[in-house]
Amino acid sequence: MTEMRLPPQPGEIIDRNAPLSFTWNGKPLTGYEGDTIVSAMAASGVKVFSRSLKYHRKRGILTANYLDPNTILQVNDEPNVRAGHRRLEAGMNVSSQNTWPSLEFDIKSANQAVGRFLAPGFYYKTFISPRPLWPAYQRVLRRFSHGGRIDDRVSDDHYDKRYAHPDVVVAGAGPAGMAAAIAAAEAGANVILVEEEYAIGGHLRYGSADDLAALAELSARVQANTNIELLTNSVVGARYDGNWIMINQRDPGHVRERLIKARAKTLVVAAGTIERPYVFEGNDLPGVMVSGAVRRLVNLYAVKPGERAVVFTANTEGESAAADLAGAGVEVAEIVDARAGGDLVRAKGRTKLSTVEVGGRSIDADLLVTSVGWTTPTSLLNMAGSRPVYSEGAARFLPGDLPDEVLVTGGMVGDGTTEQLVAHGSAIGANAAARAMKIRARWQRLTPSALPPETADTAEGSVPDLKPEAHMELYRASTHGFVDYSEDIKSKDLISAANEGYDLMELNKRYTTVTMGPMQGKLEVGNAVAIHAEATGRSIADTGTTTWRPPYAPTSLGALSGAEMNPVRYSPMHRWHVAKGATALVAGMWIRPEHYGDPAGEVRNVRNNVGIIDVSPLGKLDLRGEGVPKLLNFVYTNKWSRLPVGSVRYGVMCAEDGVVMDDGVVGHLGEDRYLMTTTSGGAGGVWNWIDDWLQTAHPEWDVTMTAVTDGFASINIAGPKSRELLSRLTEVDLDKETFGYMKVREGAVAGIEDCVIWRIGFTGELSYEVHVKAGYALHLWEALMEAGQDLGVAPFGVEAQRIMRLEKGHFIVGQDTDGLTKGFSLGIDWAIKLDKDDFAGKPELEWQLADGARSRIVALQPVDPTVVPKEASQITEGTEIVGRITSSRMSPTLNKSICLGVVADHLKDPGTIVDVRLTDGEIIKATVMEHHAHFDPQGERLRG
Amino acid sequence: MRQGEPTLAKQAGRTGRKFSALSLIRKGMRGGDWPRVWRHHDLAPTYDVVIVGGGLHGLATAHYLAQNHGITNVAVIEKSYIGSGGSGRNTAIIRSNYLTPEGVAFYNRSVHLFERLSQDLNFNVMFEQRGHMTLAHSDASLRTMRWRAEVNKLQGIDSEVITPEEIQKLVPLMDVSGQARYPILGALWHPPGGIARHDAVVWTYARSADAQGVHLHMNTEVTGIDVKGDKVVGVRTSRGDVSAPIVINCTAGWSSIISDMVGVKMPIHTRPLQAAVTEPVKSFLDPVIVSGSLHVYVSQTARGELVFGAATDPFASYSTRGSLEFIESLAGHVLQLMPSLAKLRLLRQWAGLCDMTPDFSPIIGPTPVDGFYVDVGWGTYGFKAGPVAGEQTAEAVATGRIPKLIEAFQLDRFEKGTLTGEKGAAAVGH
Repeated sequence: MTEMRLPPQPGEIIDRNAPLSFTWNGKPLTGYEGDTIVSAMAASGVKVFSRSLKYHRKRGILTANYLDPNTILQVNDEPNVRAGHRRLEAGMNVSSQNTWPSLEFDIKSANQAVGRFLAPGFYYKTFISPRPLWPAYQRVLRRFSHGGRIDDRVSDDHYDKRYAHPDVVVAGAGPAGMAAAIAAAEAGANVILVEEEYAIGGHLRYGSADDLAALAELSARVQANTNIELLTNSVVGARYDGNWIMINQRDPGHVRERLIKARAKTLVVAAGTIERPYVFEGNDLPGVMVSGAVRRLVNLYAVKPGERAVVFTANTEGESAAADLAGAGVEVAEIVDARAGGDLVRAKGRTKLSTVEVGGRSIDADLLVTSVGWTTPTSLLNMAGSRPVYSEGAARFLPGDLPDEVLVTGGMVGDGTTEQLVAHGSAIGANAAARAMKIRARWQRLTPSALPPETADTAEGSVPDLKPEAHMELYRASTHGFVDYSEDIKSKDLISAANEGYDLMELNKRYTTVTMGPMQGKLEVGNAVAIHAEATGRSIADTGTTTWRPPYAPTSLGALSGAEMNPVRYSPMHRWHVAKGATALVAGMWIRPEHYGDPAGEVRNVRNNVGIIDVSPLGKLDLRGEGVPKLLNFVYTNKWSRLPVGSVRYGVMCAEDGVVMDDGVVGHLGEDRYLMTTTSGGAGGVWNWIDDWLQTAHPEWDVTMTAVTDGFASINIAGPKSRELLSRLTEVDLDKETFGYMKVREGAVAGIEDCVIWRIGFTGELSYEVHVKAGYALHLWEALMEAGQDLGVAPFGVEAQRIMRLEKGHFIVGQDTDGLTKGFSLGIDWAIKLDKDDFAGKPELEWQLADGARSRIVALQPVDPTVVPKEASQITEGTEIVGRITSSRMSPTLNKSICLGVVADHLKDPGTIVDVRLTDGEIIKATVMEHHAHFDPQGERLRG
Repeated sequence: MRQGEPTLAKQAGRTGRKFSALSLIRKGMRGGDWPRVWRHHDLAPTYDVVIVGGGLHGLATAHYLAQNHGITNVAVIEKSYIGSGGSGRNTAIIRSNYLTPEGVAFYNRSVHLFERLSQDLNFNVMFEQRGHMTLAHSDASLRTMRWRAEVNKLQGIDSEVITPEEIQKLVPLMDVSGQARYPILGALWHPPGGIARHDAVVWTYARSADAQGVHLHMNTEVTGIDVKGDKVVGVRTSRGDVSAPIVINCTAGWSSIISDMVGVKMPIHTRPLQAAVTEPVKSFLDPVIVSGSLHVYVSQTARGELVFGAATDPFASYSTRGSLEFIESLAGHVLQLMPSLAKLRLLRQWAGLCDMTPDFSPIIGPTPVDGFYVDVGWGTYGFKAGPVAGEQTAEAVATGRIPKLIEAFQLDRFEKGTLTGEKGAAAVGH
């Protein structure tokens, strides 16, 4: 390969004293600090960087920046790196994507020979039959998929996020963007200036000596202004409603990438323009570039793009590129001026450019530079609701109407000298600041505690004209070429798709996949629209552009995700459980002790002695006010008007469709003072639901609700010796007559004031549930363990509790019920009072009662007591499903298998024998029981 | 009613309408354009049936009206381009492992139609049955997976619960270490599930309907529906009025607005459902992955892009723009499942509109207004139901009877309290 590095250039940004070694497809190469990966490779003589998607044609540099579709490469474990943008680092392993076995010799390039059969959508028209072969076809097609490769190792990179509250965000730091930032900052606004490149300056960076001088001055003013925060190698990725701006800051130090979420009062978009490639035969040959590529390679990186060039131009940029080439010692064979009727017909070459055909003549060249016009990247403006408007005279789309908080300047608006761009940018920046100040003042007025509004100058100044220069409409030559390089779509393909019936732009896009590749149309949309318009005989203006959607630049999942933020909730006793060897159970957001080694032993200890369980995740809502009974009557299916102080009651909640959504108990603690408990999983949902009713349907009810789930920890003391244990730690009278079942008392336990103690019995044993201020809960837990040593106290976990509640026949909402279980299917009809005025789900429950419950929860006893059918085993009659097992365990208390299940209404009677289909297909028999409870159905133990 | 135009279909063969490798080669050799997949027509003054909405459901209904019932004097009226709504915005997942017997039977029919669609209609819709995997991150969801598997097996659906080790074999990049915040405990595995090219499904029905004489009217907006007494008589559009004794509302996102035009209230609220796609990378993911707990589903297209979706936005809206919150939480959830994807980049995000019913099941069939039918309320599961919904809607319209497969999806169930609960399988159940 030939060394293509030029002698030092005036504006070059490489550091020739800092060579960097890297590899390209395994071969060692060297570049300099400041090089992009592509410039370093080009300086080493690399001409071919990739193979195209479908035809596997060799591809070289096209734009030499972020948007270059031909230089997307794999770097180390990172796929799809924009190597025309990414700075070279020492030790990078750079490789080509989508090539096999090698970039130089790629087997799939055979596709070029059959290219004419591979028109867009060819896959819709073939591989149809025979059907059995389709899976094999699929595998072949998938092997053609584009892109780099995902490394299966997980890297230890970090990502984070930041919130920002700038007055003004400026997207793009070319001359207009820099001027806008400076003017806004000087007007007192705090500004974030965001530049996609590693350095600010836009096109001035690769311009003339005058351009460089202007850049130096503007850059110094930006750097010196403390109101401006400058972010380089960063991109404004999206603008959402409320000027919510996403900025992706790449490589900010400490972390790999950062996502900045900015609530900008105003956004100034100064994204410049994107140079359009020209469509002609051979336009994808290595050696064919846009003028910007040449200017960047020569002036920024001192790379010679070729030896002998033809320049095809319709504007001054092409002339500048030609001058740059001449200055770099490249022979400029001819400048073909389209404005003077010059006609570029085709480029030829086998694997890279060798001749250019111009108006009947052939010119030998290894470099063809085109400069045929620009595309306005209106992406961020579209996200703000603006529709771009086509200007025939300027041959490009221009910004449409904008909301007040979004402004636009620079090349997106029009063309001009640096002075004109700066003047426009300054005026826009000042206006952006003025509008931001107005918004700031409005926000301050909305916050009574804030300082009085600042008296800022919010008058807007006039904005000087910045008009687009006249430009000829130059999209396609007389020959056909590539429109979408990433997708391998030619102009002919778009025309034939339109003729086939896909004659609306969006249909053509979806059919051919034009603009759907990694560039998302930024490079190719202008040509695609123009050629679609040509094919359909409509104007470009009528054809319109495709929709630009966020993000503006592809954004890594790492940056979007940020640091992993998954809250975990632990009870105050969590460390104690861990120390005692508890097995952790992930229960939604909570981590709970599943058991301490022997759940069956834990059950036996509760049945015979006393056990304690940490039930802190129980949802807890503190309810106060005269309206609480009305609320309870409304959200539960049973009656609450006459619950005396000192009592607790069980209730079931049904949603408006009559489906059971939660259950729990509420204690009446004092006058207008209640504590509600919900299931652990339902805590958040019930809180939302009640709040919804209180705020929307019944704001007149006097109810104050406070979620206290974390404020109180909860401990259940269960077993025949629980009264004895608790009595050792409290003065509260636990006498079974005065403090009976379903009663509540408040008092000190283990020296902790204001504990709520109630008698309920989920496990079926005499038991007390103590709700204690969370900060003291561990003390209480340890005190119980200490005081009960001689009683045999031991902790028990969630699994033991599940077994005991199943022995007792207590259902669990969400396990024994499902999204269809309505109130009357629970088998506890006594808890549903249809004679109440109104309550959630009442009409549906009335219907259910009238129609008959379609299913019932029942207890089931397998005839063979040694078989435990897996939960979700189906109950069948022949091939029909008539129920299922919802809970099942081997009972350590009864030494037999026990179940709860749902059965169709006609099977609910006690003594009915049903078929249970085990998950392996075997059918066993089970008997429907009279009571839900397998153990102590009369409840003598829990009332004891 | 006018009978079909069989000659047209025969002509198709002669004029090169038939797609095959051979026709592709012939075309490649001789050059020239393919015949049009569909044609432009003037709006006729009268149609036997007007279908509002040129998405998958409307076009499938038109196709089956013509093919199965010989009703071809049909107009499909679309306010934008065909497939511009939910049909072109969904994540193209197909499966039948639903929870209720009604749901299973219905979607199973759809899978069968999808399996034959490319051959039946001579247009490759790229239905790739690479399997559908629903992850369980808790005991409770594992129990639900087992429930679905058992119901599915009894109905002859290939569906089973698999272990983390088996998951790892199918998806090597999945973190099944158990160390994740929400560890993966198992999954429901449904081998016949997969993805198709959603646009192609729309186009194949459009092409077939057109060939049988149906008129497709794009860029034509329905502005009103005329009712005389309690009977539909015609439709007003931005291009003029047409009379028709039967009007079918096959819209999504606007279904309650269209039904309002005849005074039929729909128990529907519309929510955006967002989706996003990444840059392409080499194939590494075969099945469709769904995690209900993490509210995310992922598949890799034949082009190599990852397609992501999640739950609907938690509020009613007609906006089809995406939000930052969505892609942030989406990325976080995807990385919990497959941490090595951190450097993969998101390319594009968008939203579609979902018409949610109270029981997460659709509404298909007649309404109190004579001649006004609906095929709406498709929530987040409209794509996978497109073929069967079209087939059944066509049958209901053509015969005046309600086919068994859609008995459970009638509008009057909301008054009778006989809801069809698919919440468990449909909430994030792609």
